[in-house]
Amino acid sequence: MKELFPFKQVMGFVFSLVLTVVAVSVYFFDLSFALGMTILLVTAFIQAALQLVVFMHAGETEDKGAIYANLYYGIIIALVTVFGTLLAMIWGYM
Amino acid sequence: MKLDHTQPLEYSTKQNQLNILGFWIFLGAEIMLFATLFASYFTLEDRIGNGPSGGEIFGITPVMIETILLLTSSFTIGLTVNAMRIGNKKAMLTFFVITLLLGLAFLGVEIYEFYHYVHVGAGLQTSAFTAILLTTLGTHGAHVTFGLFWGLFIVSQVKKRGITTETTNKSFIFSLYWHFLDVVWIFIFSFIYLKGMM
Repeated sequence: MKELFPFKQVMGFVFSLVLTVVAVSVYFFDLSFALGMTILLVTAFIQAALQLVVFMHAGETEDKGAIYANLYYGIIIALVTVFGTLLAMIWGYM
Repeated sequence: MKLDHTQPLEYSTKQNQLNILGFWIFLGAEIMLFATLFASYFTLEDRIGNGPSGGEIFGITPVMIETILLLTSSFTIGLTVNAMRIGNKKAMLTFFVITLLLGLAFLGVEIYEFYHYVHVGAGLQTSAFTAILLTTLGTHGAHVTFGLFWGLFIVSQVKKRGITTETTNKSFIFSLYWHFLDVVWIFIFSFIYLKGMM
C-alpha cells in the first residue's frame, strides 16, 4: 500500500493545497491590490513549477534539455504576449 | 523493436521517447494559446458595459470546489503513473478511474457555474468582459471534456491489453495533459477568480 503513495507525490499534493490556501487568503483578508497580486503571482508560479517537476517528471530522461528549452520558449512567448498586450492596451493609457 | 530496460516502460523505445517529447512541444503551444486568452481577458475585464462585473458574479464556493477537485485529480493521475511503473495494473486502473470521475465532477460544477452566469444575465453576448470570461473558461472546460473521453479510451485499452510499451506511453502522455490542465486552472483560479473577487 505504501508503495502506491510515494512520499514525494504526497508531499507535492499537500504543498499544492497549502499554496491554494495561501492564495485564497487574498479573498478573506482586506489586502491592497499590489500585495494581493504579489501573493497570487508567487503562489501561482510556484504551484506551476511544482506540477512540472514533481508530477510531470520534466527532468527525468535524456530529453530533459529539449523539454526545458521548449517549456522556457512557451513561457517566454506567453509572458511577452500577456505583458506586451497589457503595455499596449492598458498601461499606455493610464 | 529495441527495448531500453534502464528506462520506465513508457520511455523504452525510441518511438515512445519521441511521442513524449512531441507532446511536450504541443503543450508549449498550448501555453501560448492560453496566454493569448489571458492577454485578451486582462484587456477586456473592465469593459463590462451594462452587464455585471466579475466581483458581482463569481462565488467563492464553486470556485473552491472546482480547484480542490482538479488539484486532487492531478494528484491521482500522478499516482496512476506511479502504480503503472511498479506494474500494478489494478491500482493503476483504480487511480485512473478516480481521476476521470474527479474530472467529471469538476465539469459538472463548471456547467452549473455557466448556467448560473447566464441565469444572472452574464451570457456570451452581454459585454466584452463576459464574452472573454466565458471563452477562456470554456476553452479550459473543452480541454477537460476532451480529456475525459481520451482517458476513457486509454482505460479500456489498459484493461484489455495490460501494461505494455504502448499503453504506458499513452497513459503517461495523458498524465502530462491532465497536469497541464491543472496548471492552467491554477492561473484561471488566481488571475480571473481571486483577482476579480479581491
